[in-house]
Amino acid sequence: MSAALGHVNVRDVSISFKSRSGTVQAVKSVSINVQPGEFVSIIGPSGCGKSTLMNAVAGFTRANSGVLTLDGKPITGPGADRGVVFQQYSLFPWMTVRKNVEFGLKMQGVAAAQRETRARTLLGLAGLLSFENHYPSQLSGGMRQRVGIVRALATSPQVLLMDEPFGALDSQTRAVMQEILTNMWQRLRLSVLFITHDIEEAIFLSDRIYVMTARPGRVKAEIQVPLPRPRKPEMMDTPEFSALLRSIKKLIREESLAAMGGELSDGGCEGLSMEIGPQGVANVL
Amino acid sequence: MAMTDRAIEARADALPSAHKQSAPASRPPLQAIAGGMNASPMPAARGMQWATLLASGPVQYLLGAVSIGSVLLFWYLATKYRWDFYIRFSNIPTPGEVWHTMLQVNQSTKFLTNVWMSLRRILEGFFIAAVVGVALGILVGRYRLFRSLTMPAMEVFRPIPAIAWVPMAIMIWPSNEGSIVFITFIGAFFPILLNTIHGVEEIDDVLFRAAASLGTKEKDVMLYVILPGALQHIFTGLAVGMGVAWVSLIAAEMISGQYGIGYFTWESYSLIEYPKIALGMLTIGVLGLLCSKIIHLCCRWSTPWIGAAAGGRK
Repeated sequence: MSAALGHVNVRDVSISFKSRSGTVQAVKSVSINVQPGEFVSIIGPSGCGKSTLMNAVAGFTRANSGVLTLDGKPITGPGADRGVVFQQYSLFPWMTVRKNVEFGLKMQGVAAAQRETRARTLLGLAGLLSFENHYPSQLSGGMRQRVGIVRALATSPQVLLMDEPFGALDSQTRAVMQEILTNMWQRLRLSVLFITHDIEEAIFLSDRIYVMTARPGRVKAEIQVPLPRPRKPEMMDTPEFSALLRSIKKLIREESLAAMGGELSDGGCEGLSMEIGPQGVANVL
Repeated sequence: MAMTDRAIEARADALPSAHKQSAPASRPPLQAIAGGMNASPMPAARGMQWATLLASGPVQYLLGAVSIGSVLLFWYLATKYRWDFYIRFSNIPTPGEVWHTMLQVNQSTKFLTNVWMSLRRILEGFFIAAVVGVALGILVGRYRLFRSLTMPAMEVFRPIPAIAWVPMAIMIWPSNEGSIVFITFIGAFFPILLNTIHGVEEIDDVLFRAAASLGTKEKDVMLYVILPGALQHIFTGLAVGMGVAWVSLIAAEMISGQYGIGYFTWESYSLIEYPKIALGMLTIGVLGLLCSKIIHLCCRWSTPWIGAAAGGRK
């Protein structure tokens, strides 16, 4: 893995779907990039097309217009140069933890002995070596996602694409997973494109954050996270962190309200904070 | 062990709290069990003891013996005293007669030849149905075009019972043997096909995306994702298919056969050899049971991940 690889470039990409009620514009002229070795998050209200955008980078979805490249080469379909971690559990239930991790290498024709060595090294890094012969059904949710990350890393991809990977986990497990991920990234230094709707998660993990608008999804803002590395959970209590949190919350709030119809007048919004949530807004209405 | 522990707890609860610690020592647990009903009435504790007792291996065998034994006893009594009340047992052979017939037919190889012929037909018909059914099922489940091309025709044939194929099969196939194997195949084929299709459709879409993102080629998707992913449903299809294969085989042998256990049973009726009818039926039952047990064992052996989580499989 050379440090110069892993440059994702999305230029002026639009994606729309046909549905029963007509064509839905999910993403509209979005341009983002991930520099080699950079951790970039995309954040936005639900339904803003952030997962659609990631699916296009992964090669599962085609863009209607625009250009997607990885290290200058156009993205035409899924491939092992982009590791994907899914929101749902996506381990093969019929393979043990180690066989899951080895699978990508097996598909590349790597010899069994080498596969095993690489899989065990990575599982050790994630603290999962003692579970190598377990089946996924025997693991907790957090462990399954860790194996999912390790599996995506096993083929030495240039970039890791993560679609709300901790969305299904409870908040304690989630916090631990964020720390494990930031530590692993610190060691491996590969590019990461991370989709989330959790603002604190995005700030804690990222070098840079794209905030997307409500559907059709566009880039509303691009925010640098100047917090030092390595990141520690205590950083979440610093004023710098709080300031970033506040400004992103404000951006997201505008978009969430827009997504809900945007009928609230500015005066009506003033007393609201994001903590009230959609139900609170509904009550006010 | 579990039983005695529970007995201790139950006893201790009944005593004043200060005596709880010494209760087991002062009154041995075995005695508490032996004392049983008259010691002190504790219905809940006794209920738990019953559940533990019923689940134990020897008791299960005992209950099984009682189950089969009562059928034998009924058979014996009904045939010995020739019960006649609307249904008639006067012509039915007794268990003893059937036993003697079994010893008698095994003195020559003719009976075993019949059994062997049936087994060979089952294995041939079922094996071809398994290979063709699973292969087509995977293709239909995976490729929309293949499905649109094949399923309409299959849906026309599917409701036709295998037995209804008997006359046509005799005309199509040059040999009797061919037509019987064909009918067995028809019986097994559709349950295997439909369950395989269902199994492929049930595979979570995210697994296909995961495989694609790991650089998996289509051939390997078949081998490492679709086949294991559908395996549990495939085995359901094989088990059902095996049952229908036996039904179809026996019917085909009775109608058009030479040799075979179905032929043996029907021939015995024609020749008024009633004990042989019962022997034929029992043989079919035992062979069918063996075949389904073998499929069940193959399923357990080839799907070790199912029920791997604690308490999953019993």
